[in-house]
Amino acid sequence: MADSEEELSLLETLDHLLDRGVVIAGEATISIGDVDLLYLGLNIVLANIDALTRNRR
Amino acid sequence: MKNVVVGIHLERDDISAGQAFPIADVWLSALELHDDQPLGDRDLLLRVAKMRAELLEHATFIAVRYGCVVPPLPPVQPHWRATLQKNRDNVEMTLKVAASAPKPRPRREDFTSGAAYLRALHESSAEVDEAFKRAAEKAIDAIEVRWLPRDNASLEMAALVRRDCVDAVRAAATKLKEQFPRIPFLLSGPWPLEAFAE
Repeated sequence: MADSEEELSLLETLDHLLDRGVVIAGEATISIGDVDLLYLGLNIVLANIDALTRNRR
Repeated sequence: MKNVVVGIHLERDDISAGQAFPIADVWLSALELHDDQPLGDRDLLLRVAKMRAELLEHATFIAVRYGCVVPPLPPVQPHWRATLQKNRDNVEMTLKVAASAPKPRPRREDFTSGAAYLRALHESSAEVDEAFKRAAEKAIDAIEVRWLPRDNASLEMAALVRRDCVDAVRAAATKLKEQFPRIPFLLSGPWPLEAFAE
């Protein structure tokens, strides 16, 4: 019981970390080897598809 | 080195762990990491989650969704400082409730346009027993509540509560469970400002 509660608490914590809070602008440079191929100004978000579609609505 | 941002804070002294970056009239907290460390690393996620909890114990802050890396510093939103000042003694609690009748999730391949698919996704949002919603709002003595659709199987009540009311909110949730034994729900928190950060 204690293990499942701990697991639930961890899942909830990670859900909040990945799917809540303000999204602030970030930047990324996509490189292969030492060559910068693309520079992107974007909101860098690690989230699941549900979260992304909710944000677009 | 790079830094993954954790939150936005009112004062420098509020940042009791990690790095602190001044940004206009507020402060960013962040965890420093090597340039080649991937953000998807499990241990890193756990370290950031732990740091979030430590920071919240010290003072309320605005949560930044995981994934933002500095430098460069992001643009500042003019309302951040006022939001932090207003909620200095408040935290968020979350009540995640299972839908009374989960609706099937639409399949992307059944729609020719993205807009139609998004509409269908929206319409498939979960609904919760109205009596439970009213009882939950009444039981949890919040400054403000917001019901947020999570997916087709659950809905979430974000409650802004005073820090010194967290135990009372937990007790209220226990009573709510006795009152509505057939409605599965999960109370979690305290959390930093997430739903009430905007």
